Amino acid sequence: MPQPLTATVQGRLPARLPAAGALLTALALTATACTSGTPTPQADTATNLPVRQGGSLVIGAEQEPDCADWIGTCGASIWGTYMMQTQTVPQVFDVRLKGGNWTPVASNLMASEPTTKLVGNQQQITYKLNPKAVWSDGKPITSADLKYTALQVRDGKAIFDKSGYDRITSVATPDATTAVVTLKSPYGNWKQLFGASYGVLPSHLLQGKDRDAVMKDGYSFSGGPWKIASWKKGVSVTLVPNSRYWGPKPHLDRVTFQFASDTSAAIQAFAGGTFDALYPTPQLTTVDQIKTLGSAAHMQVQSGTGNLQALWLNNAKFPFDSAAVRKAFAYSVDRAAIVKRLFGSYGVTAPAQSFMSPLLSRYASDDFSGYRPDAAKAAQLMKADGWTKNGGGYWAKNGKEAAFTVTSLAGNQSRELTEQILQSQLGKAGFRVTIKNSTPANIFGKLAPAGDFQLGLWNLTDSFPNPTLSATFSSTAIPSAANDQSGINFMRIRVAGLDPVLERVDTELDETARVAESHKAEKLIADDVPSLPLAAVPNILVTGARVGGPLSINPVEGPWWNLAEWGLTK
Amino acid sequence: MTRYALRRLLASVPVVCVASFVLFWAVRATFDPLAKLRQSVDPTALHRETVRLGLDRSLPEQYLLWVKGFVQGDWGISTRTGGAVLPMVGDALGTTLQLILWGVALAVVLALAIGLYSAARQYTVGDHVLTGLSYLGVAMPAFWFGLVLIQLLAVWPKQQFGLPDPPLYFVGLHSVGHSGLDLDYLRHLVLPVITLTVGLVASWSRFGRATLLEALSSNYVRTARAKGVPRHRILLRHALRNALAPFVTVVAMDAAALVGGLVVTEQIFSIPGMGKLFLASLETGDVFVLLPWMLVVAVAVILFNLLADLSYALLDPRVALR
Repeated sequence: MPQPLTATVQGRLPARLPAAGALLTALALTATACTSGTPTPQADTATNLPVRQGGSLVIGAEQEPDCADWIGTCGASIWGTYMMQTQTVPQVFDVRLKGGNWTPVASNLMASEPTTKLVGNQQQITYKLNPKAVWSDGKPITSADLKYTALQVRDGKAIFDKSGYDRITSVATPDATTAVVTLKSPYGNWKQLFGASYGVLPSHLLQGKDRDAVMKDGYSFSGGPWKIASWKKGVSVTLVPNSRYWGPKPHLDRVTFQFASDTSAAIQAFAGGTFDALYPTPQLTTVDQIKTLGSAAHMQVQSGTGNLQALWLNNAKFPFDSAAVRKAFAYSVDRAAIVKRLFGSYGVTAPAQSFMSPLLSRYASDDFSGYRPDAAKAAQLMKADGWTKNGGGYWAKNGKEAAFTVTSLAGNQSRELTEQILQSQLGKAGFRVTIKNSTPANIFGKLAPAGDFQLGLWNLTDSFPNPTLSATFSSTAIPSAANDQSGINFMRIRVAGLDPVLERVDTELDETARVAESHKAEKLIADDVPSLPLAAVPNILVTGARVGGPLSINPVEGPWWNLAEWGLTK
Repeated sequence: MTRYALRRLLASVPVVCVASFVLFWAVRATFDPLAKLRQSVDPTALHRETVRLGLDRSLPEQYLLWVKGFVQGDWGISTRTGGAVLPMVGDALGTTLQLILWGVALAVVLALAIGLYSAARQYTVGDHVLTGLSYLGVAMPAFWFGLVLIQLLAVWPKQQFGLPDPPLYFVGLHSVGHSGLDLDYLRHLVLPVITLTVGLVASWSRFGRATLLEALSSNYVRTARAKGVPRHRILLRHALRNALAPFVTVVAMDAAALVGGLVVTEQIFSIPGMGKLFLASLETGDVFVLLPWMLVVAVAVILFNLLADLSYALLDPRVALR
């Protein structure tokens, strides 16, 4: 299903969408004092220090959400999801690590795991709600709330993403705790409904009102462990415990997310004791800056994220309209060297071999592993396609040089370094590369949808452990009048035989069969090299000595997915 | 004076009109107000918004619609936040003006003091040292200087002396739970104000020195000296007063530029002012914020210009306000 695109910085991405990196971050901090000889921060994947009841924390937040109407187009902020939505909006499925894979599991909102079955060609999903589940005003969370949410998304205007909801034909509510949702056709990603993207909203408070107006500046209701106490625009968001939450109550009395958009300054603020925790953008110098904090900082690095950085080739533009050139390109790029340079300090050294981010590892294969630097193979492919090297050492065919521009986000150090490395590697291989960067708004609002680029460098973010390759690789997702320009196959990819396989991935309800179809799709993609995966972008959580509890990063719900369990150390 | 000010304000109206049209045209030519909706799965969204926003009309018609709304206080809705633009720009402007007020006041005092010292003691060691420091001040990028200040004046003292809090804060203008004009506010204000001040002091002090030296070499100063007027009196009452007029013009012009020019300082210190608003709007192509933002900056330039002219007349009676 084609997805809408919002050119946000670190936007909340409906299924998988280009995510723009933060601008003006890591503006070359050189710590001036007391940096040498200090012990490096501990780095691991999780901690669990005992905590006491009460107290408050201040957490540095790099980005402020544009609004808190999570369903609306303005609610596309991953930081908004992490800070407010996850803490206040109940959802049918949580995403938890099970057997090494991130998996949707029924949340405590549910009395039992939702079930699904096919009735003819229609899919029917039955939700049984936990009778203990209540809103912060004491009113029970009922099937009417599911119905309200489903219809708001399906029928509402200016909705961020209708994927799945647009298939809903009816929502039956036989009793207060049972909802039966019928979809007009099978939808493999059905667990995403009422899941991490939107959750469930209170119909008794929103029905008949302008939902966007009620929610966009923050709201007083909650069906999660926390309530929004205040949102001072440009300054902070403060959460306090929801006393009526039916699950485990928060240990802390208050948590404040204070906005600090500059990573370097935020790290300094952490060093100065202003912040107790940070979730910084992994820029080139971030690790070095964190190291200056010494043992006062506990750093967790998560490489198994939903963020995938890739080189996106415009298959409709010269020279990438030739499959031979795309393959030669793939054999000319030393992805391992790039990844090591970019993320080596975070422990990520291996390039991605799939267009599935690590969040979707169960559906991924490693078909791109065959593309390693091989100058002879690249030259062979180019020559077979009629290219010869000109006097400047560049490939040329019919008087046209194999020259192209690479486009990414202006001001992003990491991306700019990648482009420079690419320029060097590809130059040696006979491709003339020029760099032409722009703003996220221009790239994702204008250039990419219009196909006005040759090689793009940006991230895809998966926001739920469900495969959605079709959004990027299906020919039906090429922006066109047929899909109201809403597709995100900006690369104009048309791989023979791929569309029906992707369709089966999208509609298959049997997990085993779905994994098999996913692998088939990956193989077809790798054989054609319509683009080239680069690396999984790691996430970093930095916490201070005061912070205890089970600290770890959830790639879907964020670093504060279990904020209720955080506390001040004993 | 009042009549002159009013006349100047009225004369500014055509300038603002022309500026606003040029800005309107430039922003619309650069950004697509419906970029977000072009990816929408709602097939009616694009047409609906095109009609609602009047984008199906000619550019002059669109401009007139926008101006009418702007004058009536309807500055539109941000495509980024869905909120009204007027309070967004108003809040940001208020925040930035706080920085400008404190920064310019401090910079004027320091620049004049340094300028006076350097002019009075031309080519002395002190003058050379201050000249060198001025060049350093002009050359230092705000993003680097701000971070160095944070480290030196906030983080390092806290770590070195085991303080519970840093002596100076550097995130926003208030700590959590604080508001208004209190000590917490001042502790937040010091570092961003120094950051924006250092460049101003550096350039203004050089300018002050030059104009003072020119005044000191004039005939009326020579005459005053010949009459035996004390040195400090010559400096403060004769030279300084004459040098102030061009100095004030430079200050006013630079202060106007600061209204939209504190992007880096506000970014580093997480201050939700005009610079941060501009950056956020630019990144997301939010034309409905960018347009009024630019117009506000343009109006600020005109107003500060007027202020400079009025100050000029106050400082130099030979200037007639006609």
